[in-house]
Amino acid sequence: MDNDILLKIEGLRAGIEGKEILKGVDLTIRKGEVHVVMGPNGAGKSTLSSVLAGKPQYTVTAGKVTFMGRNLLEMSPEERSWAGIFLSFQYPVEIPGVTITNFMKTAVNSRRTALGEEPLSAAAYLKMMKEKMALVGMKPEFAKREVNVGFSGGEKKRNEIFQMAMLDPVLSILDETDSGLDVDALRIVAEGFNALKTPEKSAIVITHYQRLLDYIIPDIVHVLKDGRIVKTAGRELVAMIEENGYDSIN
Amino acid sequence: MTENMKMTLRKGEESRILYLVSPGGESSLSGHVGGFSVISGNGLNLNMALEDGARADILAVILPGADTEMTFSMDLAGDGAGCFLSGLYLCPDNEKLSINVLMRHRVPRCTSRQQFRGIVSGTAEARFYGKIIVSQDAQKTEAYQENHNLLLSETAKVDTQPQLEIYADDVKCSHGAAIGKLDENEQFYMRSRGIPEQEARILQMISFLSPVLDILPEGEGREALVSYLENAVRSEF
Repeated sequence: MDNDILLKIEGLRAGIEGKEILKGVDLTIRKGEVHVVMGPNGAGKSTLSSVLAGKPQYTVTAGKVTFMGRNLLEMSPEERSWAGIFLSFQYPVEIPGVTITNFMKTAVNSRRTALGEEPLSAAAYLKMMKEKMALVGMKPEFAKREVNVGFSGGEKKRNEIFQMAMLDPVLSILDETDSGLDVDALRIVAEGFNALKTPEKSAIVITHYQRLLDYIIPDIVHVLKDGRIVKTAGRELVAMIEENGYDSIN
Repeated sequence: MTENMKMTLRKGEESRILYLVSPGGESSLSGHVGGFSVISGNGLNLNMALEDGARADILAVILPGADTEMTFSMDLAGDGAGCFLSGLYLCPDNEKLSINVLMRHRVPRCTSRQQFRGIVSGTAEARFYGKIIVSQDAQKTEAYQENHNLLLSETAKVDTQPQLEIYADDVKCSHGAAIGKLDENEQFYMRSRGIPEQEARILQMISFLSPVLDILPEGEGREALVSYLENAVRSEF
């Protein structure tokens, strides 16, 4: 048994509404590693992130996923969050009438309660929130804003990284965090991600383009095509894809 | 036990009313909330006339506990009058609710806005019948009406009928109605942050109702009403 293994995906098949999208995915992630999953549109990248986070609309038809020794597929989305998985959404959801403060306080204290800890006091929570907002370069007035309502693309993604900072996950999954961002927003979000990185923590960065990888340095790069990982290599693979496209990889 | 209320707002007068139907329990809300006078009752038939430049802000909060009937007959009879009417309702079990609105624009340059939102579960039935009539002389009218409903069960029923009758030609009017379920993407987003399913549902319902509360100014009063509502949502759904 390899003690450094954080997540092990074996022969994962999954789909939605009767359509199979992942057709046998194998992937092993060790502590501290940053993995990139690249691939053309429709390859199954977002399905992989949704299935790992437990989105109920997806059905797993075969395979096994083990996270820190536990059977991930048996856990609810909230249990996965408590265990240390975080998904940064490609399209963060707007929640009118719920402020960022209340939303994250509910999230943080739900987890504390689930793990048998005392909920944070209002003062302790506000202190923590202020620190994490500063860490990802988010203006304090955002605390009072309704979750993602009227946010620009960059603000939404920064809010995702802020939530990641608050929940302090062991495994972060960034689903197309670069989509819809200009270069400045991209850099700020990537800096936030890098500031949170520690040798104990791992990440799966899902992206269509290489430009996010100018800021986030991967250890291992996978190419996902038609529901399968068709190639795994070091970061040199990114340059190869950039030059020759996905068609060159089979 | 619907009570009749007849009011006339004279030139330039303003009125802010929070009408609370809370048959299931004692209300912690009384006096004033965010500048609105709180009136408690079991159902209302309100006839209100607004003269020149008068303004009415009315919020109806209908909580579970009994069948309820609410009727609002609003008469915009003076130039430049404004009527802002909001309502929210929670209908669990086998309760029946009926809301009738008649918004009559008789003269030019009046404004009216209606925003009604409700959550219906069990075998409850909610009926919303809302009519805006803009008379031929009522040019430069602005009249809007919305009714949104959240259905929590297959057996709950909503009958919503927004209607517009416009006889003037220089007006801005719109109306809309929607009936929906709790959004699955929203729920997954919350759960992925570690918020348990039931807690996510509560947050979603509060979020759904919140546009109605925009009629109240931000502050302690509004916060008190939100936490009062949250308790009601928590114990009923």
